[in-house]
Amino acid sequence: MISLQVQNNQPFRIDEIPFLNKSDFVDSVSEGLSNGFRMIGLFPADKNVTHKIISLLIDPDFSSIHITGGEFPKDKLEFESFANQYPQTNYFECELAENYGYEPIGHPWLRPVRKQNIILGNKPYQFYKLEGDEVHEVAVGPIHAGVIEPGHFRFQCHGELVYHLEINLGYQHRGVEAMMLDTKNNQRVVLSESITGDTVIGHTYAHCSVIESLTDTQISLRAQVIRSVAEEFERIAMHLSGLGGVANDVGLAIVSSSYGRLRTLVINSLALLCGSRFGRGLFIYGGVRFDFNDENVKQIISNLEIVRKDVSAINKFLFSSTGALTRFENTGIVNKDIAQQIGLVGMAARSSGIETDARINYPYGAYRYFPVSLITLPSGDVFARARLRALEIDESLRFIFEQMENLSDGEIKSDVGSANPRSGIVSIVEGWRGEIVHIAFTDSEGKIIQYKIKDPSFNNWYGLSLALRKTAISDFPLCNKSFDLSYAGHDL
Amino acid sequence: MIQGIISILIILLLAPMFAGLVNKLKAIFTGRIGAPTIQPYYDLKRLLRKETINADSSSFISAISPVINFVSVVIAAAMLPIGLARPVISFEGDIILFAYVLGLARFFQILAAMDIGSSFEGMGAARETTFAVFAEPIFFFTLGSIAFMSGLTSIYDIYHSIRLDNVTYIIFIIVCSTSAFILAVTECSRMPVDDPNTHLELTMIHEVMILDNSGIDLFLYQYSSYIKLFIYAILETSFFYPFGVKSYTVGIIIFVVVIAVLSITLAVVETITSRFKMKNIPQYLLFATAIGILNLLIYTFTK
Repeated sequence: MISLQVQNNQPFRIDEIPFLNKSDFVDSVSEGLSNGFRMIGLFPADKNVTHKIISLLIDPDFSSIHITGGEFPKDKLEFESFANQYPQTNYFECELAENYGYEPIGHPWLRPVRKQNIILGNKPYQFYKLEGDEVHEVAVGPIHAGVIEPGHFRFQCHGELVYHLEINLGYQHRGVEAMMLDTKNNQRVVLSESITGDTVIGHTYAHCSVIESLTDTQISLRAQVIRSVAEEFERIAMHLSGLGGVANDVGLAIVSSSYGRLRTLVINSLALLCGSRFGRGLFIYGGVRFDFNDENVKQIISNLEIVRKDVSAINKFLFSSTGALTRFENTGIVNKDIAQQIGLVGMAARSSGIETDARINYPYGAYRYFPVSLITLPSGDVFARARLRALEIDESLRFIFEQMENLSDGEIKSDVGSANPRSGIVSIVEGWRGEIVHIAFTDSEGKIIQYKIKDPSFNNWYGLSLALRKTAISDFPLCNKSFDLSYAGHDL
Repeated sequence: MIQGIISILIILLLAPMFAGLVNKLKAIFTGRIGAPTIQPYYDLKRLLRKETINADSSSFISAISPVINFVSVVIAAAMLPIGLARPVISFEGDIILFAYVLGLARFFQILAAMDIGSSFEGMGAARETTFAVFAEPIFFFTLGSIAFMSGLTSIYDIYHSIRLDNVTYIIFIIVCSTSAFILAVTECSRMPVDDPNTHLELTMIHEVMILDNSGIDLFLYQYSSYIKLFIYAILETSFFYPFGVKSYTVGIIIFVVVIAVLSITLAVVETITSRFKMKNIPQYLLFATAIGILNLLIYTFTK
């Protein structure tokens, strides 16, 4: 395939991207997809020049990102859809059609991504509907009974069995990507902290990497380690909260409240470092704002010792409880084949046996020097997703203990210059939920002209839809919690 | 007669307290402080102040159903002896009336749920009906087996016929209290059949049927569900009266002790068990029916 190959966090010049005509572009991207690459972006490199788009494919085996450009006639923004053959591109094409008026010809399921009233393909969107006398349609949301984010779910059922679930999102669309272009430098970090409240560190890490790479800033090892430790804190905290949620959905009150108690210890440890239990304010361009010292390291280690001890006891109770296992096993299965086709990422993909972890496939920051282990489970059901989270907690704890004992010396912040002109950067970070991608391009004055964010939820919501097929509708909350996806991260 | 009136008053006044007690214990077992034990009274009081709204699509069924539901449950409550006192309503064959007056309450609740026309409530009604089919035999094989053994058909007389003079009665108490417990859990939508604390409409059984009710209607539904839980708790206590002498005071003490033990048992069960898969619930209910049948077999073979 014809493309520009770069690594994670490696800056490149926009002029280096090969812009091909329509048929060459389609051929080249199809070739990449047939090699087993996964799409992480499909959008114009410059917001205002919509007839020139780029496609970003990642190759997990060689840790490389393939960027291919396509130039279309200004009055004919259409191309042959890849989605029939490679379902993973389906949602990216919908997004492109929605935002920039492209028409993917022969697209199997053109639907709105974030805007509810948009007309795609000349007719208003109709939900998929199952026909028949005994078919039962259940619509849930966008306002839910619990305090959760808004999203509309439409189930086509026959009795208790779900045949199709359609998920309609976009109620939280705030225009984060557009705000990234308009906002002042020092406010962007705050903005990236608010992309989705449960992945503060993950998104901020990706955003800071973008700016630092564009400005050729070197980060000290100590700052990189602090960042990674913070990221693992977030992973542990959210995995504990997710396991608690899964336990709560099967009614195991004692397990759910125990995980909740431990999560408090973990987020309080993060607060000892930076004053915020969610890690807000820790990241800054060029490094971090707060440092470890003997006092907080001692306190954090003693907190985590308690967590390590108690988590193993609770895990043992949960994963040996017959009642819970009956609920978890063989519920909401996404097998490896389907997971690969729809491009599942992160912990959901690893639970289906796909070996993908940005910390290992596209190493960045401290993970280049201190690798973590890749954990996968084959079954792809609720059990695998819950068990994987329990195993990842152990691995993250190991990483944190290892780092806390061998902190290197050095400054925690370096100076940041101005951004390189006409450059681009792709930054991939493994948040607790999965692969977070931030992509930015600058104009000839170094001002950001395109900023694109891909949260793992963007890929994984479709996985939830498929997990529900031939599953009882009463198991939906359990499946939903096992994926633990973000609405805000998807809606942006 | 006075004791009978005291019984019904105890049931009406203390029923919400029992639900509050179970919730309080559950909170303590999971390391929380929990709402006050008398929280259900506050909830009921709040509902009385609220406006009652019915869906436009609903018919008169929705309007009359809460009242019928409440009255039926109160009539059932009036048939139960507390401390072995003769209840207000007691006659030969009242065991059948008891079962079906509760059945009537359920019938109207299901009708009202379908009447509103929401897809959630239809789903809840379908589930409730399915499980009711399996729950009914439990009642008749538990209480009905004692009726069969003693040849009596009034709840009051049946309980008086239980004697401690035979070893089979000890087995009988174990078997009956187990199957009555399962019956209580099912009828009152507690764990592991239904989760009373969930906010997830898609998994609910009983709660989902009253999602669209408000104000006085919801008050009646909630109050009758508290009474219903208490009724099943009382059914359970009655098996233990033979341990006491035939004195009203001792009967009341046994009643209090058994209720306390039962609330702890309910709270423990709700803390450490997980909910069943919806499709496995009928198996659980058939198990309770099976041990009820065992009761009859023991009686037949030891006679």
